[in-house]
Amino acid sequence: MKNLLIPAIIASLSFGSVIENYLTDLKNEVIKEKPNFKSFDIKRGEEIFTSKHIGKKGKEISCSSCHGVDLTKSHENFFTAKVIEPLSPNTNKKRLTQKKEIDKWLKRNFNDVYNREGTPKEKGDVLSFIMSK
Amino acid sequence: MKTIFIFILLISSLVASEYKSKVAGVAPVNNSLYIKECGACHFAYQPGLLPSNSWKKMMSNLESHFGADATLAQEDFVAISQYLEQNSAEKAYAYKRSYKIANSMRDDGTIIAISKTPYFIKEHKGIPKKYIEQESVKGLFNCIACHTTAQKGIYSERDILIPNYGRWDD
Repeated sequence: MKNLLIPAIIASLSFGSVIENYLTDLKNEVIKEKPNFKSFDIKRGEEIFTSKHIGKKGKEISCSSCHGVDLTKSHENFFTAKVIEPLSPNTNKKRLTQKKEIDKWLKRNFNDVYNREGTPKEKGDVLSFIMSK
Repeated sequence: MKTIFIFILLISSLVASEYKSKVAGVAPVNNSLYIKECGACHFAYQPGLLPSNSWKKMMSNLESHFGADATLAQEDFVAISQYLEQNSAEKAYAYKRSYKIANSMRDDGTIIAISKTPYFIKEHKGIPKKYIEQESVKGLFNCIACHTTAQKGIYSERDILIPNYGRWDD
């Protein structure tokens, strides 16, 4: 039993966290298009997060409209006033821990703010920005 | 003996009226997936607030859910659709509001906004716009802003408290 357990622990440790794997997958996708791509950029991510666009509902919004400017604080949904818990994974430990959730919200929120889905590069940049907060 | 009897009757009627206000108008939400997925963006409306045809129609267009992308993973879509279907207004006739909403419908489920159902419109008719459109309410979709017991499925008049204006009495 012990002989099985130790390799299992080592294997699980070497796999890294959900978000690290997620970013690696995104990076591999970007590299397919641009072989000399180096890394995601927090500054570009911030630009994606804070810049305003005419969203799906025809109103000018940014990601900050619902998540706020300070990602360590909760904010209100721009349209419904529902409280949204902090987006920063440093403040809110539940953030960026489940692939399914990351997939869902990136898809929805790019559609809502940008009226289209995000590219792998945009997703990687914006996730890097969120992680830095 | 007679006076005791009358006394008991009086007390029990008092208790009954007190009890009445604690009875939910619609069945409270009891599905954690529904609360997590739908309640992430807005008040988790009780399924008993709309008939099943309306829920069905709403769920058929989550790509543009009142203008927002509310798409779900397939397994969650199936589970939530089923929950809504099984607890829709006409399946919950024991609850006063569900009964009234279901019976007020004049179509077969083309209305997908709870605020557009005839019963809802009737109940909210006399409320000044400034109460509803103010920043801390935003709109009729925000039940909990004024109905302090909305989460329990209780929408009684005595539990209404309009932000910045106070109790509602019509």
